[in-house]
Amino acid sequence: MKFSRNWLADYVPGLAVDGAELGRQITMRTAECEGVEEHAPQLKDVCVARVESVEPIPGSPNVKAVVETGRYGRKTLVCGAPNCRAGLLTAYWPLGIKKIAGVDSEGMLCAGDELGINRDHNLIVELSDVAVGDPLPGLVPDAVIDIDNKSLTHRPDLWGHFGMAREVAATFGLPLQDPTDLSLLPSGEPQVKVEIEDFTLCPRFSAVVFENVKVAPSPLWFQYRLQAVGLNPINNIVDITNYVMAELPQPMHAFDADKVPGQTLVARAANAGERLEALNGETYDLDPAMIVVGGLEGPLAIAGIIGGDPSAIGDSTTRIIFEAANWNPALVRKTTVKLKLRTDASMRFEKSLDPENTLRGLARAIALMKLVCPEATLVGGVADVRGPVTAPAPIKITMPWMAKKLGRTIGQNEVVSILEALGFGVNTASREWEVTVPSWRATKDISMDADLVEEVGRMIGYASITPTAPRMDVVPPKINRERAFHNGLRRRLTNVGFTEVHNYSFVADAEARKFGFDAADHLRVLNPIAEDQALLRISLLPKIWKNIDDNRKHFDQFRLFEIGREIHKRPEGLPDEVPHLAVVVYAKDDGVAGLNQLKRAALDLVPEVTFQPTTSVRVFEHPARTAQVMANETLIGRLFEFHPDFVEVGRAAVLELNLRTLEALANARKTSYTAVNKFPSSSFDLAVVVGARASAGDVAQHLPGAQFIEDYRLPDGRRSLLYRLTISRPDRTLTGDEVTAERTRLIEHLRAQGFELRA
Amino acid sequence: MEQLFAALEGGLERLNSAPNPEALEAVRVELIGRKGLIAELSKGMGKLSPEERVATGKKLNEAKQTLEAAYEARHAAFKSAALAARLETEWLDLTVPPSGLAPGAMHPITQIQTEIEELFVSMGFAVLDGPEVETEWHNFDALNIPPTHPARDMQDTFWVEGGHLLRTHTSPVQVRGMQTFKPPFRMIAPGRVFRNEEVDASHEHTFSQLEGMMVDRDVSIANLTYFMKTLLAKIFGREDVTVRLRPGYFPFVEPGFELDIQCMVCEGSGCPVCKHSGWVELLPCGLVHPQVLRMGGLDPAEWGGFAFGLGLTRLVMMRYAIDDIRWINSGDLRFLNQFGGPRA
Ligand SMILES: [Zn+2]
Repeated sequence: MKFSRNWLADYVPGLAVDGAELGRQITMRTAECEGVEEHAPQLKDVCVARVESVEPIPGSPNVKAVVETGRYGRKTLVCGAPNCRAGLLTAYWPLGIKKIAGVDSEGMLCAGDELGINRDHNLIVELSDVAVGDPLPGLVPDAVIDIDNKSLTHRPDLWGHFGMAREVAATFGLPLQDPTDLSLLPSGEPQVKVEIEDFTLCPRFSAVVFENVKVAPSPLWFQYRLQAVGLNPINNIVDITNYVMAELPQPMHAFDADKVPGQTLVARAANAGERLEALNGETYDLDPAMIVVGGLEGPLAIAGIIGGDPSAIGDSTTRIIFEAANWNPALVRKTTVKLKLRTDASMRFEKSLDPENTLRGLARAIALMKLVCPEATLVGGVADVRGPVTAPAPIKITMPWMAKKLGRTIGQNEVVSILEALGFGVNTASREWEVTVPSWRATKDISMDADLVEEVGRMIGYASITPTAPRMDVVPPKINRERAFHNGLRRRLTNVGFTEVHNYSFVADAEARKFGFDAADHLRVLNPIAEDQALLRISLLPKIWKNIDDNRKHFDQFRLFEIGREIHKRPEGLPDEVPHLAVVVYAKDDGVAGLNQLKRAALDLVPEVTFQPTTSVRVFEHPARTAQVMANETLIGRLFEFHPDFVEVGRAAVLELNLRTLEALANARKTSYTAVNKFPSSSFDLAVVVGARASAGDVAQHLPGAQFIEDYRLPDGRRSLLYRLTISRPDRTLTGDEVTAERTRLIEHLRAQGFELRA
Repeated sequence: MEQLFAALEGGLERLNSAPNPEALEAVRVELIGRKGLIAELSKGMGKLSPEERVATGKKLNEAKQTLEAAYEARHAAFKSAALAARLETEWLDLTVPPSGLAPGAMHPITQIQTEIEELFVSMGFAVLDGPEVETEWHNFDALNIPPTHPARDMQDTFWVEGGHLLRTHTSPVQVRGMQTFKPPFRMIAPGRVFRNEEVDASHEHTFSQLEGMMVDRDVSIANLTYFMKTLLAKIFGREDVTVRLRPGYFPFVEPGFELDIQCMVCEGSGCPVCKHSGWVELLPCGLVHPQVLRMGGLDPAEWGGFAFGLGLTRLVMMRYAIDDIRWINSGDLRFLNQFGGPRA
C-alpha cells in the first residue's frame, strides 16, 4: 500500500517531517515501511509557460516552439505533442540545452506522465486560469511511502490515508483533522431503492443519486494525488470512488443510473448460472457462494470486487448512483480466489472494513463532487440499509496489569492520551478502566486487553523498555534424548571423516520406481511445486544416491552421511516419521575398503553390531555385497554396496540404520567395568577352515570373546579364519593343563558344529 | 707382579686408542673387569709384607680410578657419536601432509542449531521436536489462524493426502509444548519447515527454523527482549548487537514484534544486503496470544508467555555470507566440507 506524504499531511496539520523520517516512524510505531520514493521532484523547477509561436521543422514530426516561461525567460524548444499551439498555457521544465532534429532545444514542455499526474504521454498538459512563471497549481513534489501489505493484514483502517494519518498524528502528538462532514448527507426520500437479502452477506449498503453529471477528466491536482499512490486517473466520477477508497478507506462504486433498471440495487447471493461482463472486459461465471449487487434484471456488480460493464460510467452518463457498502470479508476473499481476480477494493473488503464508513464515504464523495464535477446536483436523500448492530463491550484493564505486561512503569496520563489519540474512549472512573474500541478497530483487530498492550507499547516505543531477566525457578530442563543421541552420532561420524548432508524430503514418482519402491506407499503432496517433487520420502536412499552421483563428478573419494526422517503413511492420523541414518563411502578405485570402513563405523556406533548375510536383495543393492545389520537379534539396518547399474564408475558403500530402533538399544546400554585381572592370561590361536563363501559371522558366534586375526585363502580355494583366544581366571594363574583343556573343549565344540580345524 | 704392572702402564693408552665400542669393551674386561688385571694384582697382594701391601694397594687403587675414568670418557664419546649419527640419519620432512582421514564437517545448520540449543538449555529451556507432517489444527487453527484468516495467504502451504500439511513454521510445536509440559515451562523447538515457493538464490521451499516459548505467571515484553538480546549476543559473538523492536503482525502473538538487527555489512548506513534500510529483519516474536494459550489448554488469566521464531537458514547465510540459499540442501561436499574446522 502506497501512501502520499502530502496527502497524509492534509489531515495532520503541522506535520513537519519529510517522507523518509515519516517512513521510519511508521515502521517503529505502526507497520513496516519498505521504502520511500520521491514523486515528481521535478515539480519544484517546473512552471507555467505560454507558447508564443510554433513553426514546423522540415523532415520532422516535431515543431519548433518559442515559449515565454516568465521565471526562466523566453525559450526556444522542440516539442512533439500534436496539441502544441500558439497561445497554449502549459508546463515548462528547464532541462538544459539538447539538440533535437537539428535544433538546440532549451528544456521541454511536459505531458501528464512526465509530471507524475497521469499516464498521458501524447499531449502536453493544458492549463487555464494560471499566470506564466508560476508553479503548477496544486502540484508540489511528494514522497511516496510504501508500506508492506502483510503488516497491514490486521488493520483495515490503515488501507486508507486517513487511518494512517491518525497513527502519524498520535506518533508526533499532533492534532488529527477529519475530512468528513456528515452534514453534507442529504435528507429526504432516496431516489434509489436499496435492499439487503442477508445481513451476513452485506452488513450495510448505502447509496445516493446525482443528476446533471458531466463526465470529464479530473483536475490535474486531483489526478496527481491518485497517480502518486499508483491509482490511474480515469474520469472525475471513477476518480472520486478511488479517492474515497484510498482515503477512508471506503471502496465505492458508481453506476450509470439510467442503466440500473427500476433504480433498484439488491445485495444478494448470486444465482447459479448468472454471468457478468466486468469492467475489465472479462466475463465471469457466478455461483451462489458469491455476492452480487443485483438489479431488477440480473447482476450489476460482483460485490466488493468489480463493477459490471453494462452499467458502467461513460462519456454520455448524466445520472449516477454512488454505492458505498460493506461486504462479508470471507466471501469476498473466497470469490477473489475462485475468480482469480483481486482488486484494490477486494483487498480492502477482505480485511473487514468498518461499516460506519459507508455514510462517511458518501459524505466525502458529495464533497469531492463539488470540486471535480461542480455541475452535478444531488437528488433525493441517502438510501441506507444495515443489519442489527451490537456495540462491542468495553475492554477492562488496570494500570498495574499494563505495567506488568510491558515490563516497565508508565504514567496513567500517558496511557490515556495514547489511547485517545488512537480513537479509543477511556473511562478511568474506577481502578478497572473501561476502554471503548472505535468502530474502525472493532471489526476484528481489537477485542481484548492484550491488544491494548500493543497499542500502548508501540506508541511509547519498545526501545523504552529495558531488557530484564525474569524471576524464574531454577530447574534443569528435561533432556531430549533423541536429539542428544543423534548429535552424538553426528560427532562420532564427523570425527572419523564423514560430512553431514541435508537432503530434501521430496522425491519423484520416477525416483521411487527406480529404487523399487511403490509410489502408493508414499504420502503424496497434493500441490507440489513440480511433478518431480510430489512424494514424501520413505527412504533416504534416493537422495543419498543423488549425493553420490553429484559429488563423484568433483571427488575421487568421499564420505558423507545424513540423519533424516522417513515418512511412512499410516491408515489414520499423522504419518510415522522415523529417523534414519545413511552413511556413504565412495571411492573411484576401491575393492572392499568402503564396506570395511562402514563395518568399522557401525561397530563404533553400535558395539553389539553383527552382520548377517541375506539373499533378499533390493534392486539397487549389489547382490553379493549386501548384509543385514543386527544388534542383539534385532534388525537395525543394512550394509551394502550400490549395484553397478546405479554406480557405474567407482564403488559406493552404504550403511543404513534405523535410529529409532538404535536409540532404544542405546538407552538400554550401560557401560560396565570389571576389575582388571591381576593374574596373567594365556592365549592360543584357532584356525577354522571354511568354504569360499562361508560367513565368518557363523564361526564367530561359537567363539565369544575371540579376536579375529586374519582371513587366509588356502590353495584349494577354501579359507582359513584365524582367531586368537585369551583366557584367564580372576583368582589365580591358569595351569598349562587348564589352557589345553579349554582349547580342546572349543575345538570339539567347533567340530561338533561341523567346522574343520586346521592343525 | 712387575710384569703386570707394566701391562697396566700401557692400559691407559690402549683404552684411549680403542677404535670402536667393542674393542673398548674388550680392553675394559682385560684391565678392570671382574677377572681383569687389577683383580689379578689385588689377589697377589697377600704375599706382600704389610708395608708393601699398603703401598701397592694405593698404587693399584689409583691405577684403577685412572683407567675407569678413561674408560667412561671413551665410552661416553662413542655413545654420543653414535647418537649424533642416528639423529643425523633420522631426518624427516615434517612439511609433508599427514596421511589418514581428516574429520568431516557437520552441516552448518546443525552447528548453529546446536549452539543455540546449548545456550537455551543452559537457561532452562527444554528442546522439543514436532512432526514435519502436521495437522491443519496445530499449524493454523490452534495458532489463532482460522480458515478465513488472511494470514493463511502469507504462507504457501504444501498439502498432503489425508487433510494434513507440511508444517509451514515451527510454531505448532508451541501448542504441542503446552500439551506436553505443565506450566511454568520454557522450551525451544528447532526443525525443518516447508513453504510452497519456487526455489531461487534467495528462496527455498525447505528451510530450518527455531521456535522458542516461555510460559509463566508474569511474562513481560522486557523479559522477551532480555532473552532475545542474550540470544543475539551469543549468535554474533558480541555484546553490542544493535537491535530494534517494532510492531509486527503474527496471529499467534499479541502484541507481536519484528526484531531487527543493525546491518553488520554496512553498520547501519545502508547497503544492498539490508535493502538500504540499515536493518535486517531477524526475529519475529511477541507475547503469546491468549487464544493460543487457551488452545494449548492454559488459562490466559493465570498464565502468559512469550514466543519467538528464528530463521536458522537465514542465520547461516548471514554468518558465512553465503550467496545462494540452494547450497544449503545441495549435498555438495565442495560447499559442506568448508564447515569442518574446529570451533571455539
Ligand atoms: Zn547494510
